[in-house]
Amino acid sequence: MKNVIEVHNLCHRYNGRSIYENLNFSVPEGSVCGLLGKNGQGKTTLVNILMGFLKPTSGTCLVLGENSHNLSPAVRHRVGLLHEGHLAYEFMTITQTEKFFRGCYPGWKSEVFFHLMDKMGLPHNHRVGNMSCGQRSQVVLGVIMAQSPDLLILDDYSMGLDAGYRRLFLDVLHDFAAQGNKTIFVTSHIVQDLEQLVDTIIFLDKGEIMQVGLDQFMRTFRKYVFQCERDASLPKDEVIRGFEQRGRQVALYSYEDMEAVDRHLASLGIQAHQLCRAPMSLEDGFIGLMGKY
Amino acid sequence: MWRSILLKEWLKIRWFLAAALIVNLGFSIKIFLDIRSILSAEHAQMVWYQAVHLHTVFHHDMRYVPLLTGLTLAAAQFFPEILGRRMRIALHLPMARDGMMFFCLAFGLGVVGAIFLVDALFIHLTMRAYFPFEVAVSAVMTALPWFLAGVWGYLGAVAVLLETAWPRRVFFFLVFSVLIAMLYSGVGYGWLTPALPWLGALLLPAFLCVFESARRFQRGGA
Repeated sequence: MKNVIEVHNLCHRYNGRSIYENLNFSVPEGSVCGLLGKNGQGKTTLVNILMGFLKPTSGTCLVLGENSHNLSPAVRHRVGLLHEGHLAYEFMTITQTEKFFRGCYPGWKSEVFFHLMDKMGLPHNHRVGNMSCGQRSQVVLGVIMAQSPDLLILDDYSMGLDAGYRRLFLDVLHDFAAQGNKTIFVTSHIVQDLEQLVDTIIFLDKGEIMQVGLDQFMRTFRKYVFQCERDASLPKDEVIRGFEQRGRQVALYSYEDMEAVDRHLASLGIQAHQLCRAPMSLEDGFIGLMGKY
Repeated sequence: MWRSILLKEWLKIRWFLAAALIVNLGFSIKIFLDIRSILSAEHAQMVWYQAVHLHTVFHHDMRYVPLLTGLTLAAAQFFPEILGRRMRIALHLPMARDGMMFFCLAFGLGVVGAIFLVDALFIHLTMRAYFPFEVAVSAVMTALPWFLAGVWGYLGAVAVLLETAWPRRVFFFLVFSVLIAMLYSGVGYGWLTPALPWLGALLLPAFLCVFESARRFQRGGA
């Protein structure tokens, strides 16, 4: 299977501060890949590099086989891009938006665009600038879906959206991915949404990356809970990858099985009462692996 | 695809274009009424003396209107693009960046030029109504630096708006300000006419400098 996105030895610095050092990953065709990272880890910067809006300090980024900082119009035609904040032309109405993009994309599907617009129940002469954040996001979603791209890049699509609009995005993206040979690269700060969408996750933390299949991560990374008599200030090591404490209740995250965790806690002098494995959401796993702050 | 760009540019500037037309036509009418009023209040020989010997420029009130027009239309066209770096939408369209920029600038300059053509026509017709042909032509030639200032103002404003680095913004602002100030530094009829071809030729590097600003805008990131 060929890769739609390939990043090799990517380094980027901003104002002397290193954002990435030797970043390597690839996104195969037909996959739905979620980029996760805490605020300020460079997710939007990475999307900007991928779309040619930022030249990296060194390394190469290939999007559909072309260098990302010099994408040809033919490749841009195949990429649907949702900018952070749902950028749209606010001086246009719904009709004008459709007319504008229809003229830019030969394979434009008007029915797809208007199907999403009609769900809003707004007249087609409604200005985008007078819409709510959610309605504007729906216009942008309609635009990128009507383009019928091969690759979708969504930069924090959930920003400012309520549960209903987020669910709408998920429904539409699911249908898009189900068409086959369509690739989605998505960042979002609502991690639990991505759990319903992605098949691969890329964790971005302090300029380093970990790419793993969602199923594999949810199977191998584990959440354990136990009661603790006192404040358990646990060290992060090979067994304990992260922990949270609320009162006496401690949640511990690890790749190890329960016996190994129990032994490790005992070796640290911590009495773990009622240690058991607990169900873990992707958000739990994200916090367990990356920490809260 | 170019029709879509045309639609976008038109939607951004249409109300500003209407306002600019009203202001320009208003000043043109004011000049006509001023000259008619002067001629009815003063003896024709005195008016002739003022025009030919004292080099009184009767359409002097209009001189900053083209500059204001150029600046306004540049802001109307490009301010919505830099708000939230919205121009990234256009830069992602499946068309060459330079081609798109050329079309946007050509549209803006075409609109600015059309307004100035209307101004020049009004000045010529007004002067022709009361003065000999040579004076009417000289009046238009006198206004040409003002129109050039409007075009410089347009290109300068676009370059400053699209520029991402503040030092370059300040540099462009200073360079364009000096050039524009030069166009307003003379008095009398046709004082800058011999230099106009050279000043006009300087529009080419100014035009190209906007393309460089657009290139840097694209590389500017988030």
